[in-house]
Amino acid sequence: MDLLNQLETILESDPLIDEVGLIHPSQFITLSKECNESSNSSADGAFRPANTKFWNRDHKLGISTEILLPLCKAAKSAFMDAMKQYKTHSDLSVNKHEDKNMVYGPSSSCQSFESEVMKHSRALLLLSCDLGTAWNARKLVVLKKQQLPMFTDELHLSALVLSYSHKSEQAWSHRRWVIKMIAGKYSNLQQIIAKESELVEKIAERSKMNYRAWNHRCWLVSYMTREQMLYELKKSRDWAGLHVADNSCFHYRRRLMLGISENKQGDDPSYDVENYEVVKEELDLNEALIKRYIGREALWLHRRFLSLCLIRHLMTTTHGISCHSTSVDNEINIFLDKELRLLDSCLTIQDMEFEDSEAQAMYSTMYFLWLIKQIPEFRKIELQEKLKAGNLKNILHKTCPERSFLWDVLEL
Amino acid sequence: MVELAVDKHVKYILSVEKNKDSFESVVMDHLRMNGAYWGLTALDLLGKLDSVNVDEVISWILKCQHESGGFSGNIGHDPHILYTLSAVQVLALFNKLDVLDIDKVATYITGLQNEDGSFSGDMWGEVDTRFSYIAICCLSILCCLDKINVEKAVSYILSCKNLDGGFGCTPGGESHAGQIFCCVGALALTGSLHYVDKDLLGWWLCERQVKSGGLNGRPEKLPDVCYSWWVLSSLIMIDRVHWIDKEKLVKFILDCQDVENGGISDRPDDAVDVYHTYFGVAGIYCHSAHLLAIVLFICFHEFNMRNSVYDARYCCRTLTSQLSRTESH
Repeated sequence: MDLLNQLETILESDPLIDEVGLIHPSQFITLSKECNESSNSSADGAFRPANTKFWNRDHKLGISTEILLPLCKAAKSAFMDAMKQYKTHSDLSVNKHEDKNMVYGPSSSCQSFESEVMKHSRALLLLSCDLGTAWNARKLVVLKKQQLPMFTDELHLSALVLSYSHKSEQAWSHRRWVIKMIAGKYSNLQQIIAKESELVEKIAERSKMNYRAWNHRCWLVSYMTREQMLYELKKSRDWAGLHVADNSCFHYRRRLMLGISENKQGDDPSYDVENYEVVKEELDLNEALIKRYIGREALWLHRRFLSLCLIRHLMTTTHGISCHSTSVDNEINIFLDKELRLLDSCLTIQDMEFEDSEAQAMYSTMYFLWLIKQIPEFRKIELQEKLKAGNLKNILHKTCPERSFLWDVLEL
Repeated sequence: MVELAVDKHVKYILSVEKNKDSFESVVMDHLRMNGAYWGLTALDLLGKLDSVNVDEVISWILKCQHESGGFSGNIGHDPHILYTLSAVQVLALFNKLDVLDIDKVATYITGLQNEDGSFSGDMWGEVDTRFSYIAICCLSILCCLDKINVEKAVSYILSCKNLDGGFGCTPGGESHAGQIFCCVGALALTGSLHYVDKDLLGWWLCERQVKSGGLNGRPEKLPDVCYSWWVLSSLIMIDRVHWIDKEKLVKFILDCQDVENGGISDRPDDAVDVYHTYFGVAGIYCHSAHLLAIVLFICFHEFNMRNSVYDARYCCRTLTSQLSRTESH
C-alpha cells in the first residue's frame, strides 16, 4: 500500500484521533519498546516495530519525518487531481441543470469526487496546514451538503491541525467560518462559545503568547452575553496569574472588561457599580502580581489600561454627566497618591544590581509617565508638583536613559 | 562594524528559487507569489534586479490570475487578496503594470469590501485590517482608490484602535506591530493620519526596542528582524523614528546575517529565509534612506502616478547613493 493510502486508511479507521505529531525514525523503536513493556510480552532487546512510517495508538498519530516529503507531495497531487475532477464535474452538472429538460439527483460519480476531495484534503492539511486552497475545497463541499455532522467534522479536523500547529492561521479562520455557518441554525451559540474558549485555553497552555489563538478568543467576546463575559473574566483569572508574561491573556481580559462596560441595558445604575467593582478588583489583582513577579512588562502595561479605566469611570458620574466636583477630584487624588506610593515602593526596596529590579524600576517609571500623558490637561499641574517631589526625572534618567526624551514629550 | 553582505544575499535569494525538492519548499509552494515579491524586492534594493528573467516571471504571474481578477499564490490555487497585492507589486517593480487588465483586478478588490468598510481576504469572508491595507495599497498602485468607499474603510480601521494607541486585526483585537504597520499604512495612503495620536502610538512602538537593539512585535516577545521592519516603518510614517536607537537596530539586523552563505534570519544565529532577508535588507535601507516614507508619501499619495513604485525605488537609490557618499566623506 502506498504511503498516502496508508495514512488515509489510518485516518478513516480511527476517526477519534485527537493529536498528530512528527516522529524521528529512531523514536519508533523506543515507542514500540515502551508499549511492549506495558503490554506484558517478553522484554526482547532486539524488538523491531512492524511499521516505521506511522504510529497510531490511543488516538494519537505519529508520522515519521523520513516520509514527510514524499507523503506531502503525493497528498498534494492527489488533492489537486481530485479537485480538478470535482470542479469539472460540478460545472458539467450546473450546465445540465440549466437544460431543465431532465431531473438530476445527486449522481454517484459526483459524490465519489466529493469524498475524494475530502479524503485527500484531510491528509494534505495534516502535512501542510496553511494550504488555503485545501481548506476552501472543504468549505465548498460542506456548504453544498449543509449537514451538521459535516460541520462538526470540520471543527474536529481544525482542532487536530491546531494540536500540532498552534498558530495555523488558516485552521483558526476555518473554525470561525464553520461557527458562523452553524450559529443559530443548528446549535446553541453560547455552548459553542464556551467550548471554543476552552480550546483556546488548552492551546494557549502549550504555546505561549499565541496571537492567533487569543485573537480567536477575543473574537468570541462579541458573541457573548454580559453574564458570559463576567464568567470568562472570573475563569481566566487564575490562568493569568500563572502566566504573567502572556500579554495576550491580559489583553483578553481587557477585551472582556471593555465588553462588560459597554454592555449597558437601559440606565440601570447597578451596572455602573458592577463595572466599577470589576475594574477595582482587577487593579488589586494586578498590584498583587506586580509585587510577586518583579519586572514583568505585561503586568505594567495592563495597569496602564486599568488606571485609565478607573480615572475615566471617576470622571463620569452614574448619570453619565462629566463633572469637576470636589469629590471626584478627591477620589482621583487619592488614587494617584496610591499609585505614587506603589511607584515609590518599586523604586526603593530593590537592589538595582538585579536585572528584574532594574526592569521593575523602569516599567513603573514608564507607567507613571504614561498615565500623565493620558490624564486630562487640567490635572497635570497638581501632578507635576507631586512628580517634582518624587524626583521622577532623575529616576527616569537613571533607569532608562534611552527613553528620557519622553519627559520632554510630556512638556512637564 | 559588520557590513551588509550584498553579494552573498543576492546569491542566496537566487538559490532559493532553484531548490524545489525540500519539504519546506513543498509546503511553501502555495505562497510563491509572496516569496517572489520578497525576493525580487530585496534584489531590487540590492541593485541586482537584472539577474532575473523578467518575461519568465511575468508569464508565470499571469498564469496565477483567475476569472474573478484576483491572483493565487501559485498556479492551480485559489485567489486571495494577499497574493493579488504581491502580483501587482512585482509587476510594478518591473514597470509592467500595462500587462494587466486593471479594471478587472480593481473589481476583484472592490468586491471584497464589506458593508462596515472592512475587507475580506477572499470569497470566504475572513476579515482583517491587513486586508484593508492590502486593498488600499493595491488600488493606490493601480490608481483607482476611488473605486472603494474610502471613508468607511478608514472608519473601520479606526474602530480597531486600542487604548494603548495600537491596532489589532478586528475591533478589540490585541495591538500587534504588523497590524499597526497595516493600519498606519492604510491611513497614510488615504491621507487620514491625523486620526492617529502619534505620541501615544509612538510611545507603544518605541517600547518595542529591547536591549539588543532589535525590536519585537508585542510586549514580552523576543526581537525579530521582520518586526523591526514593521515597527521602524510605522515610526517613520508617524514621524517618531527618532524615538528609537537606530544604530543599535542596524547592528542587530547585521548580526542576523549569515555572512558565509548569505541570507538574513529572524534573530542572530537562527536559520535564514527569504522573508527575513527582504525585511532585513529593507530595514537597513529604510534606516539610511527612509525608503518607506518615500514610497508612501511621495509616490502613492502625492504624485499618485501609475509607475509610482518604480519611481520610488529610483528615488530611493539616488538617495541611498547620496547618503553613502555623504557618509564616506
